[in-house]
Amino acid sequence: MEGKRENDDIPQGGDTSRSLEDSRGSDTSRKDEGGSSDLSRRGFLGGTGAALVVAGAPKLGSSEPLSGGAAEQEVQAVPRTAIRVTVNGTEHRVDVEDRWTLNEFLRDQLELTGSKIGCNRGECGACTVLVDGEPMFSCSTLAVWADGRDIQTVEGLERDGAVSPLQQAFMDFNAPQCGFCTSGQLMTASALLVNNPNPTSDEVREGLVGNLCRCSNYNAIVEAVLATAGTSGSGGAQ
Amino acid sequence: MSSSRTAQQASQQIGPMDTVGRDVPRIDAYERVTGRATYTRDVRLPGMLYARVLRSPHPHARIRSIDVSKAEALPGVRAVITHETHQLIYSSGSIAGGRQYNDAAKDITKHLRYMFDNPVRFVGQPVAAVAAVDRYIAEDALQLIEIDYEELPFVIDPEEALQPGAPPIWPEGNLALDIENQPRPSGGTSGDPEAGFAAADQVFEDRYTTAFVQDGQMEPRSALAQWEGEKLILYTPTQGISNCRHDNARDLGLDDHQIQVICKYMGGGFGDKNGSYYFDLIAAMLSKEAEAPVLLELTRKDDWLGTHGRWHTVQNLRVGVAQDGTVTAIALEGFSGMGPYLRRSGGIAGIDAYACRNVERVIYPVHTNRMVSGNFRAPSDPQGYFAIQSMMDDIAYKVDMDPVDFALKNVIRPTDEIQFTNYSLDECIMRGRELFDWESRWRPVPGSDPGPIKRGAGMAFMAFRSGVGPSSAILRVNADERYTLFVGVTDVGPGAKTTMALIAAEELGVPLSQVDVVWGDTDLCPYSVGESGSRTTTMTGYAVVQAALDLKRQIAERGMPRGDDVLIASATPNPSTEGKRRMVFGAHFVEVEADVQLGHIRIAKYVAVHESGRILNPRPAKDQIRGAALQGLGQALHEDLLYDPRNGHPLTAGYYGARHLTHLDAPEIEVTFIETDDGYGPYGAKTVGEAGIILGPAAVANAIFNTIGHRMKELPITRAKILEALA
Repeated sequence: MEGKRENDDIPQGGDTSRSLEDSRGSDTSRKDEGGSSDLSRRGFLGGTGAALVVAGAPKLGSSEPLSGGAAEQEVQAVPRTAIRVTVNGTEHRVDVEDRWTLNEFLRDQLELTGSKIGCNRGECGACTVLVDGEPMFSCSTLAVWADGRDIQTVEGLERDGAVSPLQQAFMDFNAPQCGFCTSGQLMTASALLVNNPNPTSDEVREGLVGNLCRCSNYNAIVEAVLATAGTSGSGGAQ
Repeated sequence: MSSSRTAQQASQQIGPMDTVGRDVPRIDAYERVTGRATYTRDVRLPGMLYARVLRSPHPHARIRSIDVSKAEALPGVRAVITHETHQLIYSSGSIAGGRQYNDAAKDITKHLRYMFDNPVRFVGQPVAAVAAVDRYIAEDALQLIEIDYEELPFVIDPEEALQPGAPPIWPEGNLALDIENQPRPSGGTSGDPEAGFAAADQVFEDRYTTAFVQDGQMEPRSALAQWEGEKLILYTPTQGISNCRHDNARDLGLDDHQIQVICKYMGGGFGDKNGSYYFDLIAAMLSKEAEAPVLLELTRKDDWLGTHGRWHTVQNLRVGVAQDGTVTAIALEGFSGMGPYLRRSGGIAGIDAYACRNVERVIYPVHTNRMVSGNFRAPSDPQGYFAIQSMMDDIAYKVDMDPVDFALKNVIRPTDEIQFTNYSLDECIMRGRELFDWESRWRPVPGSDPGPIKRGAGMAFMAFRSGVGPSSAILRVNADERYTLFVGVTDVGPGAKTTMALIAAEELGVPLSQVDVVWGDTDLCPYSVGESGSRTTTMTGYAVVQAALDLKRQIAERGMPRGDDVLIASATPNPSTEGKRRMVFGAHFVEVEADVQLGHIRIAKYVAVHESGRILNPRPAKDQIRGAALQGLGQALHEDLLYDPRNGHPLTAGYYGARHLTHLDAPEIEVTFIETDDGYGPYGAKTVGEAGIILGPAAVANAIFNTIGHRMKELPITRAKILEALA
């Protein structure tokens, strides 16, 4: 942990117009900043995502309309891209705003609110979902990047109305205290158990290092994962 | 209190009861592992707007003018509010020492805090807020607000803030006002310190400092406000729905019944959320202006700088010791950095765990232009215990005693003047010494391992209040023999909801599966003292016992209800311990490995022995201690909030910056409970949640001394500081 100090996006003295937001900035505002290198995280992702889409994403003919706000007609039109994405086994063909993070798409549009936003900047792991089986921070992944991918969230861990062995172990071992990090821990651990069905405790801790728990219930989380190791279906991930 | 049980000072061993004392998964565990648990941001209301807060980029500045015209003109913006439009007092943000629901203190304080203040007194203080149809537009609108600031001189260091000529943050100066609006330090004198120092054979003096620690709960603060006529419905992450309702009603000029506070799940408590917060008021005002539900989401950085954390301290200690190792006098001069508002006491605990009664304490709660300090799990304790128990550990070596023997010689014990409901501190220390195998791990000569990986051991002990007091519960039974328990808890993580159900099942003599719990909604639940100050189990839990006793009496007299009839019992007991101290006790023993080339500290073994009365649900209780101990390790080795002294800007906000613990930083914590029943609280249960965090910094620092032979006097004990000490 040493050496991880960062002097990030705190406004400097004299600049009176900015908030402490770490996710500020639409395309318009970025243009206003001209050559500033102080690009916001979302602005950066948005720019990259749009470029990727232009370069190669297939445009789909039919898509589900999705709401972008309560009074969309009056606000400036926002670039959208059609994607096809499978979420917990269900395929969606949708137009997503290019600036939406995968987390916003899942929580705000599909109302899958199990994945959480703890930091919205890739520090805490509460937003972790599986993209093609790999744990990803959904706060730092754009929805358009999910085109053609298979997404699994905590809502998809149950099978036929039964919790997965890993979820059962989380219940038995009191792995959630406040529960806010739990979805992320579950998703990372599910993927870990698929790749390594019998991990050591050190391997579990290394695997879960990107998932913070401020209740610091780390001991119980590791115990729950180890208790699941080797059981059929591992963590329940697809 | 139950007259059938008499209090005793000696601890008595006990076993499990029918339901209480046996491992039970939490009754909402399923919701928590399936994503079904609904936290504030998971609530969706039709037509909901999104809100963002603009914050001060200056540590101290007067706002000459705010121009919101461009923000208001942005399509999609529905409301913009500032201190010019809404001069609302946020009374629980700044009170002179009282509790969060201490109306008397709020009435008289000269240091009122406003929802939006002018002047602004720290980087991160709210100055305006916007509600818009989506969060992008709200964020864009913030950047269109133009503010003309007049920058003012600022001060970051608490000792500097008290020097003559320091920039005044308040007209009365930078020493915080006490509950009578007087700029006086807290503390006081007991016994005869002068005589105690005169009787000492040696007097030792030293200086210790501790750093600011953000509570850093995983759920960033949010508030979702909706008005139905003159009634406000407020979803907000609070540790105390009743106090949150009362505080907000007071500041909004409403009666309590005009606000419904709903908090079903919340992502971590850790302190100072048993009441209102300014973002509740902002969401309520934006919702009123926009005539729509408003969800205010704080970003992680908003949350980090715009809420609170444990106060940092400077502690100058003097300790007198007699030839035989008896402590004869203790003097503490402390400085607690509170930020610009005295949200909480700024107290420094720890000295009371010693038998020595000749004590002088002078503690200055100091205003600075840093972010606001407040309560974090055992608010005054880890920082105080770190200093006094480092000091005492150091003295033990200097008088050539084993630190455990020195501790056992000087711990507080029952006397004619000081009576406890039960006492087990020496037992905790001795049990810990045995379980840890102190003799084999402790080095009589500090730093004597050859290295490069050295080992050594240290310990610390504590006594922490576990009071009794008023709270309420309602129990209802219907003809199907389903028992419904109404309690105003939210379950911030320790399992309060389950604990309340366990107590009801035990007292009613029914299986846990027959008990339903209604919680987290002020329109449905009776008053609850709130989940802070270690009160829920002991106070609300005791109310559950009393309500169950009443219901059993009713059933005995009238029989079980038939048809649509129900029987209802309610209780609001206000028990007392008749002058006896009700405390929990504990001792932590730590072995560390120090890499003297890299300065890295690894925790090799951590044994925590606690007496918290009867343990109602063993696994969650153990996890409370384990999690708290790990938070203590974070304070010991990692966490800080550094400020740039040149511009008053915080530099290490956020999880990476503050270096909160990850899985890889977390050693196994071995927990042992000594169980007793002192006759108070529900079945003798006492507090668990706060106690575990108190000893980590002291025990780790003492272990590091034993390992490397250098006394580390400043938290956090970083690698750089270790290497500097060894250089």
